[in-house]
Amino acid sequence: MSLQQTATAIAGPRKGAGNSFRWQFLTPWLLLLPAFLSLASVSVYPILNGLWLSFTNTSLITQEHDFVGFANYRLLWVDDLFWNAWWHTITFTAVSTLAETLLGLAIALLLFEHFAFRGVVRAAMLVPWAMPTVVTSKMFGWLFDGQHGLINYLLKSAGIISENVNWLGSVDNALWTIIFADVWKTTPFMALLLLAGLHTIPKSLIEAARMDGARSLATFWYVRLPMLLPTLLIAGLFRALDAFRVFDLVYVLTGGGPADSTETLSTLNYKTLFSTLQFGYGSAISTAMFITEAMIALGFCIFLYERLRRQK
Amino acid sequence: MSQDESGRSAAKTALAASLNRRSLLKGASLAAGSMAVGGGLLASTASGARAQGRTEITFASAKFYAKKTIAQIVDAYNESQTKIHVKYIELPPPSSSTEVHQALVQQLARRNGAPDVFTQDVVWIAEFAGAGWALPLDEYFPAAARAEYFPGLIDACTYQGKLTALPWIVDGGMLFYRKDLLEGIGAKVPETWADMTTIAMELQKSGKVDFGYLWQGKQAEVLVCDAVSVIGSNNGSILAADGKSATIGNDQAVEAIQFLYDTINKSKISPADVLSWDEEPSRLPFTGGKAAFLRNWSYVYGIAQDKSASSVVDKVGVAPLPHFAGGKSASCLGGYQYGVNASTKNREAAVEFLTWMSSPATQLRFAIDLGLAPTRPAVYDEAELAKEQPFMQTLQSVFTGATPRPVTPKYAQVSLALQSGLSRGLVSGDIKKELTATASKIDAILGA
Repeated sequence: MSLQQTATAIAGPRKGAGNSFRWQFLTPWLLLLPAFLSLASVSVYPILNGLWLSFTNTSLITQEHDFVGFANYRLLWVDDLFWNAWWHTITFTAVSTLAETLLGLAIALLLFEHFAFRGVVRAAMLVPWAMPTVVTSKMFGWLFDGQHGLINYLLKSAGIISENVNWLGSVDNALWTIIFADVWKTTPFMALLLLAGLHTIPKSLIEAARMDGARSLATFWYVRLPMLLPTLLIAGLFRALDAFRVFDLVYVLTGGGPADSTETLSTLNYKTLFSTLQFGYGSAISTAMFITEAMIALGFCIFLYERLRRQK
Repeated sequence: MSQDESGRSAAKTALAASLNRRSLLKGASLAAGSMAVGGGLLASTASGARAQGRTEITFASAKFYAKKTIAQIVDAYNESQTKIHVKYIELPPPSSSTEVHQALVQQLARRNGAPDVFTQDVVWIAEFAGAGWALPLDEYFPAAARAEYFPGLIDACTYQGKLTALPWIVDGGMLFYRKDLLEGIGAKVPETWADMTTIAMELQKSGKVDFGYLWQGKQAEVLVCDAVSVIGSNNGSILAADGKSATIGNDQAVEAIQFLYDTINKSKISPADVLSWDEEPSRLPFTGGKAAFLRNWSYVYGIAQDKSASSVVDKVGVAPLPHFAGGKSASCLGGYQYGVNASTKNREAAVEFLTWMSSPATQLRFAIDLGLAPTRPAVYDEAELAKEQPFMQTLQSVFTGATPRPVTPKYAQVSLALQSGLSRGLVSGDIKKELTATASKIDAILGA
């Protein structure tokens, strides 16, 4: 069998130019089909099914499963607990992302410079991020315990506070304590992304700036920062979308309390879906989360797009 | 001939032999095969072989273990008779309560009869009964049989006048106190909250302890348990007797929660940290010797008596929780109970197994081998229990006054509303307002 014949056998019989064109057109799609089907079954289908569930009153406990239109969303709109959790989640996302980006940038700039044992320091920096969040949460639970926590002990020994601070049991502190724990844990991740970004800036630009007599601060402000901005925005986007789903820290440290002051959308959704098994209402909360996240992502993207367009 | 080859040919001979005398050796080769795989498999194969001709039922339960496991108790049942064979399905431990609940709901909602018998947390009984998944057991356990259990437990197992669960093991909130400190100031074990507050303040003032009274105020299920105890001890309740409306806005409930608020803000016998504490954080200062009183479950006693973990060995006493003047002690009821699947195809076998599992003799085994407290007062009088579990025996008085949490099929939703409302009240101090708001929220949940 010649090569030509083999090719014909694989491609199928050629009866005319039109048929061949159709095959040329179809083959790529047919080859993509398995990948598309498997992705659709694990990604698209659950999303659509979740959306459908949010329009039903499905509950495993009452065994109802009827279409109720927008009833769940109308309930959601007037549900104090939902908006309470929504605001906490937005606050958590904004504050932790901002703090992690700034701190991460500072650490990245530091680790970019040459110094002895830089490799070791870079590796050690990643330890908090590599730890499972539940472990971090338990650790912070004991560190910040109001009575036998190390933090209060140290602050008291240093004379900074005179009375024990109730870090987790007070509505004024609990959310901030959780944000602090998250910043500790995730700053290394931001630092790593930004460090990678710093490495992509051509050395020649920095050298040129130096030749022109720019000092460190000016080099940073007029050369490095503008060059780093796309990386900053993308890293910030990743971090914000991830922070929006915060669950473990809240679940382990406070369970959403005291007085709902640390309830976030993920913990509220978990309680609704898995404790009370109200799949309909829970799916409506999930959809609302999805919409909020999409809006955050859109905001970042518009900013990024504008920035790139202006650069051109 | 190498060693490998000789082994192979020996195996071949054995195989041929067993093929020739197949019928004769069937049982033996089965046994030999499973022996090669492992002892555990051998046991199951053997009991599987013996199960032929028996009624096969399944039993699903959360995982409890100590010296023995539930599987061993089930095996003992399979050994003890020849009519029924029970297959045990192990669910996650009770600490993963949400997962156990999910697993049971998914199974029971299929209504295909599996599992035939299951165990359930005391707060799911109404939900399962309301959904029609739990078989009413009144005809099998008439009033006389029910009278042999703690009355609070039978209440918890009864939904709309029908017994839909059978008591298995019990736990309850109780008061741990420092015997040595109370003796030191010549005080008796307090029976009312007021007495306890006085003693706690005195001990705290004298510097013998840092904290008078520790409890659990974390926005979690345990807060509901703490609340049930104080409200119940003031003749109040969370839901009306018919379970169709909330009564937590009433004066008795408000007064009771006000007491919890005052322990932090007025008498100051509790640190504000209790608002973020669940069981373990509140247990630590107590077994560390820094607190006079603690509300907690029975597990604390074992730790308090453990020299490596406790500085108060032999100094801890246990009593029923105090009450308000004119009320009586109300321990919040915990524990797991049996249920029979309403769609079971082997009703008689299931009930027979249940009867054996809940019998005084089996409850004694659970108490001694797994450390699970019996639900029949009579078992507490057994000499063997006194010898093996002397502490458990002292708990009879605690469980006698045990009070169930609200009995409603929508308990999970009611509990979340309670956790939120109670926590808000304890933080803001405006108890009446928060509890009234919680009551209307619960009314909406129950009405829907």
